[in-house]
Amino acid sequence: MLRTEPNSGQDNEPGLKPDKQASDLKPDKQASRPRWPALLLQDRFAFAAALVLVAVAVCAVLGPLLVGDLATRQNLRDPGRPPFSLDHGWAYVLGSDSLGRPVAARLIAAAGTTMSVAVPAVLCSLVVGSIWGMWAGFHGGWRENVSLRIADVILSFPSLLLAVVVLYVFAPSAAAIVLVLSVARIPVYLRTARAESAELRSRLFMDAARTFGTGSWASIRRHVAPTVLPTLLTVAALDFCFVMLTESSLSFLGIGIQPPDVSWGLMVAQGRQELSSAWWIAVFPGLAIVVTTVSATVLAAWARLSTDPGQRWRHGLPGRRRMLRRRAAADRGAKASVPVDEREAAASTRAVEHDTAAPGRIVGHDGHDGHDGHDSTGPGPALGHGTTAPVPASARPEPDALVVEGLCVDIHTPAGPAAVVRGVSFSVRSGETLALLGESGCGKSMTAHAVAGLLDPAAEVVGGQARLDGDDLLALSGRSRRRLAGPGLGIVFQDALSALNPVHTVGAQLAEPFRIHERLSRRAARAKAVDLMERVGIPEAHSRAGAYPHQFSGGMRQRLLIAMAVALRPKVLLADEPTTALDVTVQAQIMDLLGELRGEQRMALVLITHDLGLVSDHADRVAVMYAGTVVETGPVATVFGKPNHPYTRGLLESVPAEQHKGARLSSIPGSPPDPRSVPTGCAFRTRCPMAREVCATHRPTLIATGADRAAACHFGKELADA
Amino acid sequence: MFIMLRRRAVSSVIPLLVVVLGVFFLARLTGDPANLYLPLSATPEMRAEFAARNGFDQPLVSQFGDYVAQVARLDFGESLRTAQPAGEAALRAFPATLQLAGWTMLLAIMGAVVIGSLAAYRPNSATDRIASFLSSTAASVPDFWFAIMGVLVFAVTLGWLPTSGTNGATAWVLPVATLLIRPFGVLVQVVRGAMVSALSAPYVKVARSKGASEGRVVFGHALRNAAAPVLTVAGDLAVGLVNGAVVVETIFGWPGIGKLMIDSVLQRDFAVLQAAVLVTALVIFALNILVDICHALLDPRVRLRAAA
Repeated sequence: MLRTEPNSGQDNEPGLKPDKQASDLKPDKQASRPRWPALLLQDRFAFAAALVLVAVAVCAVLGPLLVGDLATRQNLRDPGRPPFSLDHGWAYVLGSDSLGRPVAARLIAAAGTTMSVAVPAVLCSLVVGSIWGMWAGFHGGWRENVSLRIADVILSFPSLLLAVVVLYVFAPSAAAIVLVLSVARIPVYLRTARAESAELRSRLFMDAARTFGTGSWASIRRHVAPTVLPTLLTVAALDFCFVMLTESSLSFLGIGIQPPDVSWGLMVAQGRQELSSAWWIAVFPGLAIVVTTVSATVLAAWARLSTDPGQRWRHGLPGRRRMLRRRAAADRGAKASVPVDEREAAASTRAVEHDTAAPGRIVGHDGHDGHDGHDSTGPGPALGHGTTAPVPASARPEPDALVVEGLCVDIHTPAGPAAVVRGVSFSVRSGETLALLGESGCGKSMTAHAVAGLLDPAAEVVGGQARLDGDDLLALSGRSRRRLAGPGLGIVFQDALSALNPVHTVGAQLAEPFRIHERLSRRAARAKAVDLMERVGIPEAHSRAGAYPHQFSGGMRQRLLIAMAVALRPKVLLADEPTTALDVTVQAQIMDLLGELRGEQRMALVLITHDLGLVSDHADRVAVMYAGTVVETGPVATVFGKPNHPYTRGLLESVPAEQHKGARLSSIPGSPPDPRSVPTGCAFRTRCPMAREVCATHRPTLIATGADRAAACHFGKELADA
Repeated sequence: MFIMLRRRAVSSVIPLLVVVLGVFFLARLTGDPANLYLPLSATPEMRAEFAARNGFDQPLVSQFGDYVAQVARLDFGESLRTAQPAGEAALRAFPATLQLAGWTMLLAIMGAVVIGSLAAYRPNSATDRIASFLSSTAASVPDFWFAIMGVLVFAVTLGWLPTSGTNGATAWVLPVATLLIRPFGVLVQVVRGAMVSALSAPYVKVARSKGASEGRVVFGHALRNAAAPVLTVAGDLAVGLVNGAVVVETIFGWPGIGKLMIDSVLQRDFAVLQAAVLVTALVIFALNILVDICHALLDPRVRLRAAA
């Protein structure tokens, strides 16, 4: 059967998307991962399920002691006794059947039968199937092909039918059922184990193991088995349900467990005869099956989640998120800007100064020593001062197209929210290119996605504003925001292959903006799409409009993506690493195209990148980001010429350049902080050569350090004057 | 595309042949059919005569040779019970199963797409949790018990629905519902999973960045990308419906292929069993091809990969 995997995004830069970030944030397995019993206790559902299974197991083991011969002893004087009466002892609490046998005792006895079939069957197929599968996947080639073919053959035959036919040959018995079911289920494990170990085979450490001459079985045992086992156990839990259900179906049909043995399925079959007079005979054994299988399913689901912690919270924790959103909205109402990070305040021993979230360009700012930082986050006027009256009109020919202020974004993790964007402020004018420069994981893409309203469910804007022509994008309703998506704000994504929908023609995708916003007919929108393709330099646009994204080269795909983003002539274009996935010559072409379009349409371009070269070649101004905040802004030439923040300086020094020839290339010591444990005060202080005591206690705010420049460093002025 | 289909057809013929072969030999191991059809007092001569008349005294190999020749002529031999052509019995029984299964799959897929998409739209929301719990419960409820509970409540107690038969629309409710629960439960989870990953794909963000409405995002962009795994699983579940059909048809007296197979096994009616199994295997074979065609129609990459 053909399986088409949904496109998985290939992000060249990890740590940008929330899910990527999530994997970065994954707690160190050894250190902080709670042990599984503790985890089990946390999840009430799973815990209840585990209790049920334990109870069934106890009944199965101790059943003979508990019930003795009660389950089979007939009592014809008193048949069909109704349930829920303790007059005749506990065994009759669920009534008795037509032969006077107590249902409760029979249920317990049947648990033993069920387990004696299900456990060996699951174990057999698990052991045989997984070893076979690991072997096939490890070796590949013909062994793999033949194994998969055999699995196909077994699976292509309905298993109940197989069992029906085989059981008739061998005469129904528990052993025969175990045999049939384990044969029928081997392919399931085989396929799973093969897939996982074939993937491992392609990894490097397996090559290394082979180079050392480790034998194949030793390699499987040492490297493959531990990795594959968790998945297989989950499969086994689900398989347990399947085996139980099949056994009870067979028993019900009369070709499984035979009387006088007791089985839940058999009990249902017996109860069926007296459905109208004694409902309890059929109802209780059925309930027993349902409760047991549902418990196994719940436990399997829990096991899957707890072996992959990313799964659960990658998609967000909605209750909490709604709460936070409400809080953020309230904050927004109360103050003009909400850069205050309460969690950080709580975590810190002293009152940590919060970013006053001053916008990118500040000429004068009096909060120099940082002590009044918190206070200056006051209502309207103080902030207005920072934003609207910063620069003489002559220096600002164009109005600001986009102003972002104090933007805060959290990612929700099981360990609590992680602040990945902590008060980012910048602004960009029409016709200008602002580069948002920073390392992987500094929050620059998250900033762009937040502004565009495209955060993943696990991430959430918890404060700040993003004003486009006076509208706060972050406060808009869905509908008015959609109206701006396209004509107001366009965004170009990093990986063009996954950003284009693989199942629609590019023509249809390019026509979509016109269909949505201008309500054009299919034909007219298509014509505009073709024009657009020509505009961005796609040859033979007319005929290629009917092609699919995977039929284009990487550069062409990026052109298509840009065309889509600029289709409605947006005022602001966010370009999120638009060239990272491309080779150098194509990179230049794409950047030229973006530059042309910017000039033509008087767009404001926000270029998100980690590439210093790209910034110096194509941007007018730059905002350098570190650990979720802007640490320095200003015109590219002056910032790069004389950085006013030690981080910017470190970045520039780590670039190979003519003047460093022969010298050792320097790099910034250490690595960017984990968003959950950003150092108090200045986030950069732990890596900073200039760090003093004040850096640990006071968080520096963006303060003006020169014409149209600002840096968030306690020593920014010194650096500027030096 | 035709190249792909041809390749698929060739590779699915092998399981088909193995199945037919296996059933032929297994069925002949179930014992001497004479034991079932002749009275216990039958003399050895009578048994021998019975075997000779039906070809059971021949070596297995030559019985198989005859069988293959007959199958090639679509002649499956005669039913030992009714002396009617076995193929006819199987073909007569099949439409009833096909109708039952068709309605079931249609309802299961439609329902699962709606509920699974709703659940995936807000992962971990209350809707999602409820849908996930109910669907996993549905997938683990034993169908025979569900059927009997249905009979107990709606037929015995309330008297709204008949307990068995095929007459009238009401007769369809319980069989379809019983057959439905498992595929429905599984499909809801598959749709949910596929939609969660489709909805978090970059192209969905791009669609939103174009101002697409949520309906357009979910149904125009995400759903079609999520269709591939759903289709694959739906195909497997449709094959698995044969399992359910055996149970459902037995309980509700539905004159379909499942009941025919169980009856013929219980009565050691070789010819009918073979015919029924072969017809089923052929339908499964056709179904697999159909699923592949749907894959190719839904995803241009499949079409082109096949052509390459």
